[in-house]
Amino acid sequence: MKLEVKRLSVDYGAVKALRNIDLELGEGVTVLIGPNGAGKSTLLKALACIVPYKGSVVFNNHEISSLHPSERMKLITYIPPYVPALPDITIGDLLLVDTSMDRSRLNYYVNFLDLNHLLERRIWEVSSGELERALIARGLSRNSAIYEVDEPLAHTDIRYQVRVLKELRELAWREGKIVLIASNQLNPIMNFADYVIALRGGELFFTGPAKEFLKEKIIAKLYGIKVKLLKEGPYVDILPIA
Amino acid sequence: MRSVEEYVKVRKRRFFTVTFTLLSLLITLALIHVSVGSSTENPFKIMSEAISEILHGYPGIASYRVMRLTASLLGGMALALSGLLIQTASRNPLGDPYLLGISSGALFGVVLTFALPLIPLYTLVLRPIAAFIGGVLAYLLTLAIASKAGMTTTSLVLAGVAVGTTLYSASLLPQYLIIQNIHQLFAWSQGSFVDPEPLGETMIFLSLVISLLILYKFVDVMNALNISDDFVRELGEDPAMLRKLLTLIASLIASLTVAWYGIIGFVGLASPHVSRRLIKSGDVRFVLPPALIFGSLMTVAADAVGKSIIYPVEIPVNIIVSLVGGPALATILMGLKHETRG
Ligand SMILES: Nc1ncnc2c1ncn2[C@@H]1O[C@H](COP(=O)(O)OP(=O)(O)OP(=O)(O)O)[C@@H](O)[C@H]1O
Ligand SMILES: [Mg+2]
Repeated sequence: MKLEVKRLSVDYGAVKALRNIDLELGEGVTVLIGPNGAGKSTLLKALACIVPYKGSVVFNNHEISSLHPSERMKLITYIPPYVPALPDITIGDLLLVDTSMDRSRLNYYVNFLDLNHLLERRIWEVSSGELERALIARGLSRNSAIYEVDEPLAHTDIRYQVRVLKELRELAWREGKIVLIASNQLNPIMNFADYVIALRGGELFFTGPAKEFLKEKIIAKLYGIKVKLLKEGPYVDILPIA
Repeated sequence: MRSVEEYVKVRKRRFFTVTFTLLSLLITLALIHVSVGSSTENPFKIMSEAISEILHGYPGIASYRVMRLTASLLGGMALALSGLLIQTASRNPLGDPYLLGISSGALFGVVLTFALPLIPLYTLVLRPIAAFIGGVLAYLLTLAIASKAGMTTTSLVLAGVAVGTTLYSASLLPQYLIIQNIHQLFAWSQGSFVDPEPLGETMIFLSLVISLLILYKFVDVMNALNISDDFVRELGEDPAMLRKLLTLIASLIASLTVAWYGIIGFVGLASPHVSRRLIKSGDVRFVLPPALIFGSLMTVAADAVGKSIIYPVEIPVNIIVSLVGGPALATILMGLKHETRG
């Protein structure tokens, strides 16, 4: 299974958010990083056909933008970090908005992320982390080939961060899913990365195995600050130097 | 809740309980509505008399009462649907055809037709068209002002109030100068089912049926739109187009009610809101039926009170409805305290 991206560009009016991106995404966990505004969320949304793109995105010989939306939803799931819902929408409404959802899978992830007590709660009456967990549960309940998770670590506490990242790794390694996670939290996300894609200013800065990316010089160049890498066994910590 | 399955079951049960209860209430109120007036009668007698009056082709008090009941049933339902659609299209819990200026725009459109030297039959046909054009233009103006003001929940409503009050006054002022029958004019500007026009009832009924048939196809996308534009795009639909469609239908229905029954505020605001609170869900499939019933409940109750409590004086529907609508608005406002959360 492979997702091939060729000469992908996305414009928002005058803003050129992505320019000529060439990529190949395979099974495993790919972490998508880059400074604020680099185009991470845009890339995820383009691959899910939520924003229109120029260029080509091919999966199993199919251009994804020409697939029927219901087919595409079986193939690829974009998990947003936040939704601007009407206040009376409940967490239950959010989880059940896709009527074709596999209920047993949904039940599993609702338990997995401890959402049962929140099902009747209005969306404006839950915390940011609880909403984020609900969005992740909804996304993972769709049994798609590709999961794109946008900022899963923004509001969740460390228990759920680890729980979600481990689950994503399981999905990638055991079930052969393509997992793409956009994040600004290099720790702990880099410990879960098989591959890294780095964007800067709408252009591809790096793509390759995580091992090759984890160099002080590369990270420093990407973000424009000095960093120190601490490595121990298979683990790595990236520390900015103030 | 112990599981999603339980949530689904409870939501369904609650939906049926709420719908059944509201429906029983509505039927009771409808029976009271036809039985009160110049004299209090057995409602079933009135209904059978109305049928025979209509069959024999000479309308009388009984058929008038049934026509008036039908008008208030349809009026409330239409306003509730309009409110629900505006709330979805603008993703704003304060969506309401009256609050957002549509009703006053429609009123203004109708008043303009009065200035034209037309034969009466012509005005009957032109009235709803003028109302629709006025309603849509007013709403476009509201949206334009609101988007300059940041398009927050409250800026949309404040823009609607600005447009609405201006057009409302602009509609009434020339009439005070020209028309002699101020009392009747006042009744119309404050909503009234006193003159149930068969043409009007047919138009509103048909527009409701057609809208609901169209919307049936869009429930899933409407649910998605209630959450996020991205969810709509994922389904392969364009949220901007969907918004336009819903807004157009909402304006059409609201303008028709203004054309025939005048301005009735708050029914569109309160009905979907009450429905969502009662069933504890925002899912359009479940919210819609109780919302429509509650809309009718409001107008039928208000009209029953308005026509009987100090007979023969008619208290306009809007005055009574606002007694419920105002507090509803206040409640919703207080529930919005989290709006600024990031
Ligand atoms: N709807 C939009 N309209 C116009 N410009 C946009 C829109 N969404 C994003 N942009 C711009 O496109 C660029 C890429 O944005 P994107 O959201 O993809 O960045 P990101 O890498 O996800 O950033 P962050 O780390 O802050 O999440 C930015 O310059 C942003 O300002
Ligand atoms: Mg982003």
